[in-house]
Amino acid sequence: MRFAGIDIGSRAIKLVVVDSAGKILLKRIADTGFDPMEEVKKIMNDARPDHTIATGYGRNLFELVFEAQTVTEIKAHARGALVLFPQALAVLDIGGQDSKAISLFESGKVKKFEMNDRCAAGTGKFLEIMAKNLGFAIETFGDQALGAKKDVNISSMCTVFAESEVTSLIAKGQDRREIALGLHSSVARRAVSMINRVAPEGEVVFTGGVARNSCMQSLLAKKLNRVVHVPEEPQFVGAFGAALLSSEMP
Amino acid sequence: MDPQPLFDDQYAGVPAKRVLHYIESKREKGYPVVGIYCGYAPIELIQAMGLIPAVLCAFSKAPIASAETVLPANLCPLIKSSYGFILEGTCPFFAMSEAVIAETTCDGKKKMFELAAEIKPMHVMDLPQLADEPEALENWTVMIRKLQCFLEKTFDRKISDEALQISISNANKKNRAMRKFFEYAAMHPPLISWQEMYDIGFLALPATAEEMEPILETVMAKLEQRAENGIHFGTAKMPRVLVSGCPVGGDALKIFRIIEEAGGLVVVPDACTGIKGFVGEIEENSDDPVKALAKRYLEVPCACMTPNNRRLTALSDLIEQFKPDAVVDFVLTACHSYNVESYKVGRHVTNTHGLPYLKIESDYSDNDEGQIRTKVEALLEMVSR
Repeated sequence: MRFAGIDIGSRAIKLVVVDSAGKILLKRIADTGFDPMEEVKKIMNDARPDHTIATGYGRNLFELVFEAQTVTEIKAHARGALVLFPQALAVLDIGGQDSKAISLFESGKVKKFEMNDRCAAGTGKFLEIMAKNLGFAIETFGDQALGAKKDVNISSMCTVFAESEVTSLIAKGQDRREIALGLHSSVARRAVSMINRVAPEGEVVFTGGVARNSCMQSLLAKKLNRVVHVPEEPQFVGAFGAALLSSEMP
Repeated sequence: MDPQPLFDDQYAGVPAKRVLHYIESKREKGYPVVGIYCGYAPIELIQAMGLIPAVLCAFSKAPIASAETVLPANLCPLIKSSYGFILEGTCPFFAMSEAVIAETTCDGKKKMFELAAEIKPMHVMDLPQLADEPEALENWTVMIRKLQCFLEKTFDRKISDEALQISISNANKKNRAMRKFFEYAAMHPPLISWQEMYDIGFLALPATAEEMEPILETVMAKLEQRAENGIHFGTAKMPRVLVSGCPVGGDALKIFRIIEEAGGLVVVPDACTGIKGFVGEIEENSDDPVKALAKRYLEVPCACMTPNNRRLTALSDLIEQFKPDAVVDFVLTACHSYNVESYKVGRHVTNTHGLPYLKIESDYSDNDEGQIRTKVEALLEMVSR
């Protein structure tokens, strides 16, 4: 039997197919673009799942086109993180356009969660726009920021305000790697207060596309002063969790 | 079998129109109309004077753009909507009102009332905010007496203590009957829907005990019929949700709708637009009926009070009675008192009752429905049986 989990996020669509034992058979990712269902059809092309669970902001749209059930990103990330790091008690997921902090019972069930939404403040989209403004590739933005000797304080979290703050810093001749570090610090500060509100203790699993950023990884570990696990491919955790939930359906 | 509607009229699903019809018909009989905004307006006094209280429009996003020509955009939607209706002249209740009663429940409202006073006679009552202090009762009693003077002067009539005593005992009767009505939502599964609670509550707030009595009698008979025929809403497996926080009406009803669409049952709307207005008893045949009124109104557990431990006690009572599986605290954007208090509510609900809790901060727009849906679905996933 093949069980699929598809996570239709704001920036990327992730597909994971597992077998009955939860072993990963297939993993795919595509840009969400402007016609997500077209991308979904492509990505699902020869996946041949027997049962599918959709998650992410596009889950309800998926349900209309394909035979599937849906779960929220919160449940999916919690399930995926639990299998990867069974001892963890918290999940921090920073995706393209929202971020969430989840605290878990020891059983892995969701205890509490918080979601930051409504604007792209402190999310992947924010970092992407800032990287572009500073002339860095998003893939190496974190490494560049880590190369700074000191950071610059960035007070705005709103993407629009932060953009003008960055512009004025550039005009002042500030080192762009220092600005980059300042931007990462402000995103990390926000993420830390969110996770501390929801899950004040225990090991943390850092998921979502932003978890690939080396500077975010290191700032979070430092500011949280706890063990922060980053899965090998953090952007697949939601889809993996959904696939596992699909395999567990009665 | 579909449940028989509780009201047999043409206003199904539009309770504001039913109430408009009610107030218009009273006005035609010569009763003057007084506009009110909030659960602190002493309805018993207004009714005792032969006046009709009309809850003014405050729950639509439609007039907000007009309001923002004067008011700042980052203000609570309820205040902006209220003022927008006044500016546009689109609230029929406001148009019918000969005077408006307002309270200093929050900074945004009291400053908006100054602007509204330029359009209609306004009587603002200074609401004490340390409700537990003995002076609060003295002060609020004085405020109600001043309101009485204002109404006596404006409408050229006098009110006797006896008339107020009767009005109080009638209100107690009405509130008791309403609490009995809400008991049908405490059943597993509930016999009434949130729409029905909203419908009946909307009318019961301004109507008198005499007017509500035959209506509620019919309603209760229909509910007994439902009980006999095994008609109910949802299933016993569906998670039951208590919704606390800011008032919910009109465009804010999206919170109830989303909970329902996500597979939950709203079993108790705990807000001034829900059960809150019908809770508690006013002392009857006291030496000072105005003071008795003041005492009851200071017990309203609004977040504008500090400390507001009454809200936690009231929540515990509702949790005991309605047995929810989860609590949603609905906070209107920029309502600082409810927003800050939400932390205590969440702590109380999780620590004392072991229930999951979710704060939803929103306004009247519909652009955050997707995010609210995800949060509500995640909450229901936590309690799914």
